[in-house]
Amino acid sequence: MPERLLARLPHGARAYAWAGILVGLVAFWVALPPLKVRTPLLPLLLGLVAIGLGTWALRGGVRRLGWGAIVSGVAGIGLGYLATRSSVANLDQVVVWSALFAAMLRYATPLAFAAMGGIFSERSGVVNIGLEGMMLSGAFFGILAADKLGAWWLGLLCAALAGGTFALVHAFFAIHLRADQIVGGFAINFLALGITGYLFLDIYGGSGTPPNIDRIPDVHLGFLKDWAFVGPILGQLNLMIWLAAGTIVLAWLVLFKTPIGLRIRSVGEHPRAAETVGISVYATRYAAVTLSGVLAALGGAYLSIGFVNSFNQNMTAGRGFIALAAVIFGSWRPFGAAAAALLFGFSSALAQRLPAYSESAAVLFQALPYVLTLIAVAGVIGRSIPPAAVGRPYRKQ
Amino acid sequence: MDERPVLELRGITKRFPGIVANDDVSFDLRRGEVHALLGENGAGKSTLMNVLYGLYRPDEGEILINGKQAEIASTRAAIENGVGMVHQHFMLIPVMTVAENIVLATEPVRSGVFLDYAAAEERVRELSERFGLAVDPRAVVEKISVGQQQRVEILKALYRGADILVLDEPTAVLTPQEAHELFGIIRSLTEQGKSIIFISHKLKEVTEIADRVTVLRRGKKIETLPAAGATEESLARLMVGREVLLRVDKVRAKPGEPLLHVDDLHVVDDRGVDKVRGVSFVVNAGEIVGIAGVDGNGQSELIDAITGLRKSLSGRVVVGGRDVTHEGAKECLDAGLGHIPEDRQRRGLVLDFSLAENLALHDYDAQPASRLGWLFPNRMVARARTLLQEFDVRGGGPHTQASGLSGGNQQKVVLAREIDRNPQVLIAAQPTRGLDVGAIEFVHRRLIEERDEGRGVLLVSLELDEIQSLSDRILVMYEGRIVGEFEPGVTDEELGVAMTGGGQRQAA
Amino acid sequence: MSEAGGGPEGSGKAENPRTGGDYAPSVAARLALWQRAGGLAVPLLTTVVAFLIGGIVVIITTGKNPLTTYKAIFEGAGLNWFLEIGSHSVGLPFTDAKVWFPWDTASLAGLNLQQTLLIWIPLVLTGLAVAFAFRCGMFNIGGQGQYLVGAVMAVWIGSELPNLPGVLHILLAIVAGTLVGAAWAGIAGFLKATVGAHEVISTIMLNWIAVWVGVFLFGLGGPLQNDAQESVPVSNDVVDAAKLKVFWGEPLLQGLHIGILVSLASLLVYWITLNRTTLGYEVRAVGYNPEAARYGGISVARNYFLAMAISGAFAGLAGALDILGWQYRLNTNDILVSTIGFTGIAVALLGRNTAVGVGLAGLLFASLVTGTSTRNLDPEIFRPELASNLTTIIQGLVVLFVGADVLILYLLNLRKRRRRAAVALPAAGPDA
Repeated sequence: MPERLLARLPHGARAYAWAGILVGLVAFWVALPPLKVRTPLLPLLLGLVAIGLGTWALRGGVRRLGWGAIVSGVAGIGLGYLATRSSVANLDQVVVWSALFAAMLRYATPLAFAAMGGIFSERSGVVNIGLEGMMLSGAFFGILAADKLGAWWLGLLCAALAGGTFALVHAFFAIHLRADQIVGGFAINFLALGITGYLFLDIYGGSGTPPNIDRIPDVHLGFLKDWAFVGPILGQLNLMIWLAAGTIVLAWLVLFKTPIGLRIRSVGEHPRAAETVGISVYATRYAAVTLSGVLAALGGAYLSIGFVNSFNQNMTAGRGFIALAAVIFGSWRPFGAAAAALLFGFSSALAQRLPAYSESAAVLFQALPYVLTLIAVAGVIGRSIPPAAVGRPYRKQ
Repeated sequence: MDERPVLELRGITKRFPGIVANDDVSFDLRRGEVHALLGENGAGKSTLMNVLYGLYRPDEGEILINGKQAEIASTRAAIENGVGMVHQHFMLIPVMTVAENIVLATEPVRSGVFLDYAAAEERVRELSERFGLAVDPRAVVEKISVGQQQRVEILKALYRGADILVLDEPTAVLTPQEAHELFGIIRSLTEQGKSIIFISHKLKEVTEIADRVTVLRRGKKIETLPAAGATEESLARLMVGREVLLRVDKVRAKPGEPLLHVDDLHVVDDRGVDKVRGVSFVVNAGEIVGIAGVDGNGQSELIDAITGLRKSLSGRVVVGGRDVTHEGAKECLDAGLGHIPEDRQRRGLVLDFSLAENLALHDYDAQPASRLGWLFPNRMVARARTLLQEFDVRGGGPHTQASGLSGGNQQKVVLAREIDRNPQVLIAAQPTRGLDVGAIEFVHRRLIEERDEGRGVLLVSLELDEIQSLSDRILVMYEGRIVGEFEPGVTDEELGVAMTGGGQRQAA
Repeated sequence: MSEAGGGPEGSGKAENPRTGGDYAPSVAARLALWQRAGGLAVPLLTTVVAFLIGGIVVIITTGKNPLTTYKAIFEGAGLNWFLEIGSHSVGLPFTDAKVWFPWDTASLAGLNLQQTLLIWIPLVLTGLAVAFAFRCGMFNIGGQGQYLVGAVMAVWIGSELPNLPGVLHILLAIVAGTLVGAAWAGIAGFLKATVGAHEVISTIMLNWIAVWVGVFLFGLGGPLQNDAQESVPVSNDVVDAAKLKVFWGEPLLQGLHIGILVSLASLLVYWITLNRTTLGYEVRAVGYNPEAARYGGISVARNYFLAMAISGAFAGLAGALDILGWQYRLNTNDILVSTIGFTGIAVALLGRNTAVGVGLAGLLFASLVTGTSTRNLDPEIFRPELASNLTTIIQGLVVLFVGADVLILYLLNLRKRRRRAAVALPAAGPDA
């Protein structure tokens, strides 16, 4: 196993490029806590090294990663310089790594759930723009059930049911009626927005959800308390964050290590071929799409009864689309999408802390996931290749 | 050879709205034999096999496997009954490995849930050794050759325990060597007791590989006969139902000045594979130059490069004295090319446009169809009316959608558009593919008329008959090169040898 | 049976291998079906079914008669204005003369109708933004973002250049808003044309980028935040000279402005561009069959870019008109909750991407939006905050069913194709 892993590591020009990207990050990092280098010289030096490595990689024919290293170097110099100019107090206030990472995990969790759902749906060949709506339905029905039935786990169950139902509607229109999947997904978003908004106002009126709703518990890991850095991050996380991590691993195992995964992927790549060996394209797609709704809804339920403990209209506010972005950014792979979710979560965490510098500019970090994904689909940092049959309705012969 | 049939189809009838695709067809297959199913396009071969493979339910008739009646309602049932199918268009998933493709839906499992990749690869290796089908189980399908992909398809069927293998036009996509290797594989399969149904419309192959031949024509079974005594002529007669009269009446060509120069052209395909490797030739005014060759030897890429639809790596294309090597489609057309594309539905026509709009596809942006960006639909319609009449297009007027016409009439629309532009050189890529006899004659006659009016015609066709009967000079293309030039009197054998890379003569 | 190129299951990979396959198939194949629908039956049926289901929601949740609710929405939208025929007069524009007119321009219904038409103005334009891209075989989901950047541009020019003469100021703001909308959508068109990035993904991303950039600009401490009110996240007001003339109703109460003429003209421009210009010919050819268009000498990439840019221009124009016509300012909350661009998708789909259809579907959705607003709906009959959600539900249902009516058309088409095959090729079996 280790030698196989080693073989998969980048080498040659690719390794230089990756090193360049890392050095570029370090150029910024040295200017931040805990090192807080105050001279702009070091970031400049490191940044130049990164640019050099990138150029070297470019000459070796590694274009995208090479440019990545150069950009990383330039950004490292710029940001590093800015950090050295900024006051130490501000730096200390904003860059508290453990708090940043804990916030990152919180923000990334709903994204990760929905992204895993998106992967299953799209791997089976059904575009799921409706993730946002399915998430929203999970958020609402989760808190509704937790409130009325009095238990968080019943909330989760109902959220899953609601998300699954919305997904089933999407599946029926996309699979049996062969409707346009993008149009259908969009309709799901409208429907979920309308239905949750309607019921929310009808049931809770203007006063909103009550404060004493049973919430998903946190997991206390006492033994981590004394560990530096790791303790504050992992010591007290919501159960759903750990479940998200499990879901990611499970999604990877199912998709790439089991017959079920092979079949799902075959249906998304070449449904006719799958059908000729006896796989039911319709059944596979129904199952995958429904599962995607369930997962997205769990992400939504975490938002309402694990994270903020309340519901308001349209509370997902585009997180479903960020999850979709994570799916694409992660090339339809569970770990890739999870990494993207973490990255996007980190940018949300930063957006929350940056107002110390500039209230308005912090908001721009909210746009980062979308900008990065736009760059990703443009193919600048390695193009994401979707399943071949995604979005194509399949007709049985 | 065992005489007992492993498979019997009795009185199969399959109707589609307006068509009887199979009309009371009976067919049997013995153990260890290669039974060819011969017929023209549309004779009902594929329908019959789809019935056998559970993709269609027959309206009448029954299927017996090993003497027992079998109900084949799905592909799964067909597989369970030992029927395996190698489709003409491979049913393989390009991004997956050979082993993954082969074991799909019947995967070996380890610890109850996990896919056992090691076992899968082992099984594939075993099978491929036993039947002499060399493939690497770990290779990704999109990275291996077409011939190897076909082996994967065969292995897929064998892995599922197929005793009866249906090969649907298996040589259509193969190079001659690959076809030769395939025949070797077929022999080794039959030696090990597998029975094979070999669908083809190529007489030569059928006489070479088959033990018996069943000929279908217009949905009906015409005859089953031993291949040993059959000649190509006798089979052809059965297939088309009349003495084949291939010669088209025409006077000798009077070639004039050169109109199209292609000089040392190199072209790669979408995947970056060298498809055209240094092709040079000239088309003169008043002659038809035919390019013969097996499908996939670079003909499509050559045509695309000449007509500006694909960039060429190097070399030169000159039309009527104008260098259009690096020009786009529009400039090539303006330089004097007319192009009848090989796929009229995908490329030649906008099916959802009216005929008037389709006829304006090249000159919608010029007088009289438009002026300064403003369109005059009435003028387009008026012109369409004249053209439709001249080219005898039936089944619709200027406002009819192109999708509403039959194939033959659609092709006439394309012809009308290309000829009406008065091109110096007319490029016709498989101009009669999928047409009925009447339409074929129309197209052939028209091409000769254009030649006689002094245009140069470049004809690319996979049909030797068409090449033979129309061309004034014949070029043979093989693996991206012109490997021979022949006079029209050449025999099919000579051409065939050149097309399969056997020719030693190099074109000047 | 041989399928036409790009058939629904088109198992082939995308034409451009560099893109490594398309994210979703070009909408062209199915678009063709939608265009063929022509008739009114399917959209009408779709709407009726959506309202029926909406009615059921009303009964189940409130126990009230949905017809009463719908009637209230109808009246809230001011559509009853047309029914109240009497003898009134109306002033001729630019003169003091008054002439006889069958409707009372000052009635309550008239006031409501003004609001409906006020919403109709941008809805038509965002609908056209989706429809135009559709005709080129693309799905422009980014109408919202393009609308927002248009609005941002208009508010910036309208408020920051105070010393321009009125007409010039208005023209400048409108043109700039339109152009920036075109540029915003042009990014997606450019990416599609050059690297084959799927326009659905890129326009979704651009929507959210537009939202957050807008929030940044007008948020507290943002560069364009109001100079006078430092604690309110809102832009400066558009100067009076740059406001569009309100010709029906009270400017302070959101009267109907002359932008409605621009929307009407846009419908005409849309139709003319598609059907009477070579550009429209190219766009439609690319939309139906890009490969045939390329073969015909048409630059597919150029048309992808142009069609997206023109789409964006419509949406950007919508944003500019809203700002100059009645909003006059933009606050961050407006930016976050606005859905006018998304509703445009429903408008285009229901209107089948035709000029007349978009106009009518725009009216339907404008009426729904206005009729369920807190300002217009009679709270005795139905709680307006619920009703606006009902609108969203109905919108969703319409979109859902509009997508599914492809099925009906598919069956129709199938029958036609079979008949054709039977007539044309008596000998050709399914393996032809």
